[in-house]
Amino acid sequence: MTEIVKIIALAGVLTLGLLLAVVAGDYAPWYFAWLVGTTMIILISVSGAVLLETQEAAGNASREK
Amino acid sequence: MINPTVVDLSRLQFALTALYHFQFVPLTLGLTFLLAAMETVYVITGKQIYKDMTLFWGKLFGINFAIGVATGLTMEFEFGTNWSMYSHFVGDVFGTPLAIEGLMAFFMESTFVGLMFFGWDRLSKPAHLVVTYLVALGSNLSALWILIANGFMQDPVGAKFDPTTMRMQFKSFGALVFSADAQAKFVHTTVAGFVCGSMFVMGISAFYLLRRQHRDFALRSFRMAALFGVIASLAVITLGDASGRLDDLLQPSKLAAMEGLWHTTTPPAAPWTLFAIPNDKAQKNLYPIGIPYVLTPLVAHDFTSAIPGVFALERDAKPKIVNGMKAIVALKAYGATHDPAALAEFRKHENDMGYGFLAQRFAPDQDLSKVTPSNLPTILDRAARETIPNVFVEFWAFRLMVALGVAFLIVFAFGAYYSLKNELEKHPWVLKAAMYAIPLPVLTTLFGWITAENGRQPWTVFGWLPTFISASSHSVGYMVFSLVGFALLYSAFIAAELYLLFKYARLGPGYHGATVRPVESAARPAFGQPGYAADKPWQ
Amino acid sequence: MELYVALKVIWAVLLGVLLSGLAIMVGMDMGVGALLRFVGRNDGERRTALAMIGPHWDGNQVWFILGGGAIFAAFPTLYATSFSTFYVVMILLLFSMIMRPVAFEYRSKVDASRWRESWDWVFLISGAVPMIIFGAAFGNVIQGVGFHFGWDAQYYQDESFIWYLLNPFALLCGVLSLAMAVHQGGAMLMIRGEGPIAERARRFAIGGGLLAAALFMIGGVWVQFIKGFAFTQTVDPGMPATPLGGPAVVMRTGAWMDNFHMYPLLWLFPALGVLGMIAGPLALMARKPILAWWLGAIAWIGIIFTAGGAMFPFLMPSTTNPAESLTVWNASGSAYNLGWMLVFAVIFVPAILIYTSWAFRVMRGKVKTETVVGNDHSY
Repeated sequence: MTEIVKIIALAGVLTLGLLLAVVAGDYAPWYFAWLVGTTMIILISVSGAVLLETQEAAGNASREK
Repeated sequence: MINPTVVDLSRLQFALTALYHFQFVPLTLGLTFLLAAMETVYVITGKQIYKDMTLFWGKLFGINFAIGVATGLTMEFEFGTNWSMYSHFVGDVFGTPLAIEGLMAFFMESTFVGLMFFGWDRLSKPAHLVVTYLVALGSNLSALWILIANGFMQDPVGAKFDPTTMRMQFKSFGALVFSADAQAKFVHTTVAGFVCGSMFVMGISAFYLLRRQHRDFALRSFRMAALFGVIASLAVITLGDASGRLDDLLQPSKLAAMEGLWHTTTPPAAPWTLFAIPNDKAQKNLYPIGIPYVLTPLVAHDFTSAIPGVFALERDAKPKIVNGMKAIVALKAYGATHDPAALAEFRKHENDMGYGFLAQRFAPDQDLSKVTPSNLPTILDRAARETIPNVFVEFWAFRLMVALGVAFLIVFAFGAYYSLKNELEKHPWVLKAAMYAIPLPVLTTLFGWITAENGRQPWTVFGWLPTFISASSHSVGYMVFSLVGFALLYSAFIAAELYLLFKYARLGPGYHGATVRPVESAARPAFGQPGYAADKPWQ
Repeated sequence: MELYVALKVIWAVLLGVLLSGLAIMVGMDMGVGALLRFVGRNDGERRTALAMIGPHWDGNQVWFILGGGAIFAAFPTLYATSFSTFYVVMILLLFSMIMRPVAFEYRSKVDASRWRESWDWVFLISGAVPMIIFGAAFGNVIQGVGFHFGWDAQYYQDESFIWYLLNPFALLCGVLSLAMAVHQGGAMLMIRGEGPIAERARRFAIGGGLLAAALFMIGGVWVQFIKGFAFTQTVDPGMPATPLGGPAVVMRTGAWMDNFHMYPLLWLFPALGVLGMIAGPLALMARKPILAWWLGAIAWIGIIFTAGGAMFPFLMPSTTNPAESLTVWNASGSAYNLGWMLVFAVIFVPAILIYTSWAFRVMRGKVKTETVVGNDHSY
């Protein structure tokens, strides 16, 4: 039963998202671009930091060998 | 009678207070999202250093944010205190986004900023992260509603003048919010804020790297800021181009001034002027250096469209001025008598009424009913010339903005590249460039403000309400009083702000972490305290 | 047309709500600022006092900004005319207000007694002066202001600003609002403070509350002898919003009591005000600061709606051209605008109240001097 509720809720969210995307495409292309773009900038910046941790870990490992 | 000195002083005061306020805003827009990104890494990896980053950059953000808030108070009230005619004329539509900004955005930002600074020990990690994101979202939503309001000044959509209430009446919320100008301006301005924030973090990190201090802290901050900045720089340029296209369609006078075009261009060979000294009095460019075949595709995105020059625009304005004067005379008559014939006459010319207001300044005793066939030609000439903004200021503000914007992209690109390769310290010139560039993005946004708002002149509401008749009917004494006060206060603020920013940037993150978090520091030594480095081989 | 009238009335009430929010939240912080030098005898105590409102002053201050924005949008002509005619006073208000955020952020960032001492004076000025100006501005509006309009609805001022600064009724209103701020600020200092800070704050707050009650009652009597404003022609509340060519208005002594005679239910507001201002200090005497704070909030609502109820529908009457007085009917935004704003207010005002109270809940509890002084991040 909870599964069904979850699926319905998810479907609702998706439909809302799709509607928003369609409306945004018609009336607010730049606003939409800002939402997507800002999210992307943050994610790239975050992954840059995570990458740095990996690079450093790899560097330490090769030095220890 | 409107006193031109009062109008000029009101303009000076507005420009000074707005530019001053706008030094601090872009940094807030960018730093909040950068702080959120840093805290995100802290929550994902659990590494203390990212929390130290959030705290340290958050402290510098706070010093900057305080003045931003303080000087923002002035802006919210200055329309009423100094631009009464403007406020009455457009308050029905222009006031709405400002009120919504308070309700929806500024309240959120300001309430959560307190929790962001003081709630570390009282909120769970994810809850605090959400708070930080809400601050960032709040500050950017603030920018959204402010720029929607500004968009209306640039391209008044969604409202119509009503001769009964003598003001613009709000007609379409959708048109106002989804105005093309507001959309492009919002993205352009916020993303320019991202550039300011990234350059601030990247530059100060570069300073530490050059002095071989706080290396791990600086490398991480540099990496995040450089990646943030490189994409933001690209987006700023994209949106700048989009704004230019809009000016081509909506504000040809601004575009002509930006590009220093006195004569209408002949595509496709029309040159793009790289350098010139535009002379507004003689209406020509001195020492122009141009690149042929660049202007048309750059502005119009094709090879066939001619771009109107200043002389053509002045010529086109004259019939509008004639009609506008008729509209204003009829409007005044309608206001006094409510005579339907006067209303009908007004309706015939209502779309040009702004040009009538513009001519009012040049009529005898500023009274359009005193225009006669003999003085009409002089009034027409002077009013037509008035429709063009100051070309010298526009031309150079625009060029400096673009040149600096492209330079930032280059610095960010090299910074990001060497940071990703972990070779930053081998290329000190990148670090030096980043360090010296710290104040430049803020300066560039000020050039951007001048480009947008000087280019809008002579209008406060483009095509509808001239700046000259927008101001309050103050005495010169009032204006001197407020100008002197603002000058003294704001100078004291900037001195204190710079002193503190330099002090805390020099002290670095170590100082900051030493005394914060009394609860945690009992369990484990804080960053920068003896014992802290023991479990961190990289210290 | 009926809808338009309803919207105008709703926004007049909402204006009262926003002004109450401003008075309650900003007034509290102003009170703390004004009392700072007196409740804190040393740097540690003063920092403790600041830390009590430290996480909240910024959010509270938005009530001030929202007040400005809402007047701009809902009553554009009132915004344009009032802020311009009160120019010198408004600029002084701005000067004192903009020093406050800077004082919070900068005061404790430099460890030098002259630096901090100077900022403490700034807190005193930026706490006391705005409250006096707020009150005095209301006092002036109640008495009417000299202005008229040109054909294009541009205002023209008919009186020198000196008159606004030096008039006894306005000063009474100014001191009343400062006294209320001291009461509210003192109550907050007791809620979150301990020991000597709370004790000193208590004395000031009790005095402030009682003084406010006395001044409010004196003001109430005084208003009987002030010239109020009243329409002498029938008014169409649904009229298009323009101050030009409006119905005739007369200035008459005691006219501000007309509404109370017509709608006796309005006496509820002055009653609430007096009740709050007397019961607040009593609660403080009984060391129940939270109760006192809420009573003070009710008193603020009572005071503001008493003034609004007396003047309704006048917002800013003109002494030199009474027919061009600004009223709820002739100074409002369009129906379309008021409607959209209402949509946003209905959604966001409750949201603001919810997350503001959440923020206060998160930061609740006594502030201790040791933690404040030990934390370099605190104000």
